Amino acid sequence: MGITSGVRIGPFEVFTQIQPAVSQVRQYGEHHFPGRLFVVEGIDGSGKSTQLSLLHKWLESRGYGVIFSEWNSSELVKDTTKLGKKKKLLTPATFSLIHSTDFADRTERSILPLLKAGAIVLCDRYIYTAFARDVARGMDREWVRELYSFAVQPTAAFYFRVPLETAIGRLLDARDGFKFYEAGMDLGLSDDAEESFRLFQGRILEEYEKMIPEFGLTVIDATLPIEVQQASVRRIVKSHLAAAKEVRVQV
Amino acid sequence: MRETYGKLLPGMRLADLAGKLIVIEGTDGVGRTTQIDLLKPWLEELGHAVLDTGMTRSILAGEGIRRAKEGNNLGRVTQALFYATDFVDRLEKEIVPALRAGFIVLTDRYIYSLMARAIVRGMDPVWIRSIFSVALKPDAVFYLRLGIDQLVPRVVFSRGFDYWESGMDLYPGHDMFDSFCNYQGALLAEFDRLSEEYHFETVDASADTRTVCSQLKTKILRLLEEDSKDAIFSMLLARSAEVTARNAKEKVHAAERAEVKLYPDESKSHDVDWSLLPSPVAAQAGGNGHAILREE
Repeated sequence: MGITSGVRIGPFEVFTQIQPAVSQVRQYGEHHFPGRLFVVEGIDGSGKSTQLSLLHKWLESRGYGVIFSEWNSSELVKDTTKLGKKKKLLTPATFSLIHSTDFADRTERSILPLLKAGAIVLCDRYIYTAFARDVARGMDREWVRELYSFAVQPTAAFYFRVPLETAIGRLLDARDGFKFYEAGMDLGLSDDAEESFRLFQGRILEEYEKMIPEFGLTVIDATLPIEVQQASVRRIVKSHLAAAKEVRVQV
Repeated sequence: MRETYGKLLPGMRLADLAGKLIVIEGTDGVGRTTQIDLLKPWLEELGHAVLDTGMTRSILAGEGIRRAKEGNNLGRVTQALFYATDFVDRLEKEIVPALRAGFIVLTDRYIYSLMARAIVRGMDPVWIRSIFSVALKPDAVFYLRLGIDQLVPRVVFSRGFDYWESGMDLYPGHDMFDSFCNYQGALLAEFDRLSEEYHFETVDASADTRTVCSQLKTKILRLLEEDSKDAIFSMLLARSAEVTARNAKEKVHAAERAEVKLYPDESKSHDVDWSLLPSPVAAQAGGNGHAILREE
């Protein structure tokens, strides 16, 4: 870009010295909001959603105000994403941008204000999903990271590591097929959905592995029994809750 | 060769984008759309194929943005990214294919409007520039410029205050007039900054429509002439290169022939008199005696 400030927060260079008035949008870096943000990551079939819902119930039972936010669920944006997927309009670039739009809406509307209000926010998939998928689709690694630099850094990001074959086995047991974009069919890797899924998710796994040191993801062995995984997750979450406000949210 | 502002999208080839990308920029109410409506038929009459495009016209995101704006609850980051989605969809699906087919693409606003809107809303200029680093550099950006004093009556007396044009998402609680002046003033200042950075050609939009249009036409003609001169020049260059190559080849052949003649015994088998080669009929006759019989 030609402009450097030398100040870095996480992977991002911060330009506060040059543009002091406008740096609000650059959130990544340790936040000082009263709330806590926990996210789960991993490929489909890693069991991360099961783990997050168990964590959700536990936190609620302990009286915390918990808000859950799912990838690709913004009321404002999801119809556009659906249209793009249904009509196969999405290229790697627009796939990336529409998902970032969805994430931006959830960040602005719920994640950020709720963290300020002191809630515990749980996200099923976060920016790391975008980094893994978009790069696997051929987008520039740096470009995608810069795109999401408005994101709040999670208190802890759990990566559920699972071998590809285990994940595929779980998915094939649970349903009858793979969706077009989920299997990376848009990339023309293979005409066979299962084979394409295997190749595409393999690339995604590689990206996740690279992100473990880059973003300090907390690795959970997703081949262990569910209870064992949940116990490690709860132990780590608990260690971050000391200073969090206890607010019960009336639903 | 065409360039982007730094990053290349996967699958995008820049090599044969022969058309012209012409951008009409400016704040709300300066008459961009009116000018494009006049320029398009004029260019077509001159024999150019024209694609006109503009914000929120993408198949993917156009409708979604319109719906999101109805609710007046579109956040600033979301807004910037939604528009970026719309832009990239049009870039990949309309602009690049049209340029490849040799069209003149007239675009009502480009990345600069989107950057100005985002920056005025307090977003990091480095962030928004990075997103649009995938955009193609246009052949020309015509910046229709109108001072804030002239802008107010033009917009307000023709269609009244609009929530988004008044930047009410930025200055809620103020009345629309104050908000409009603040917002459009800030946009104007940002446009002026971008104008220097990206070398816009400024056109004074305070003149009447026909004057502005004829100014634009002159500039566009100049651009197209330059291009045809370039084309002729590169054609001549290519032709002269071809001639040079042919000459060189002939020299090599001549040298080979001269070499061959050094060995007179072998010269017959190598040095063929091409005029004596059999015609197709003769060749057929040589290979197949029946054919020649039937022929006779």
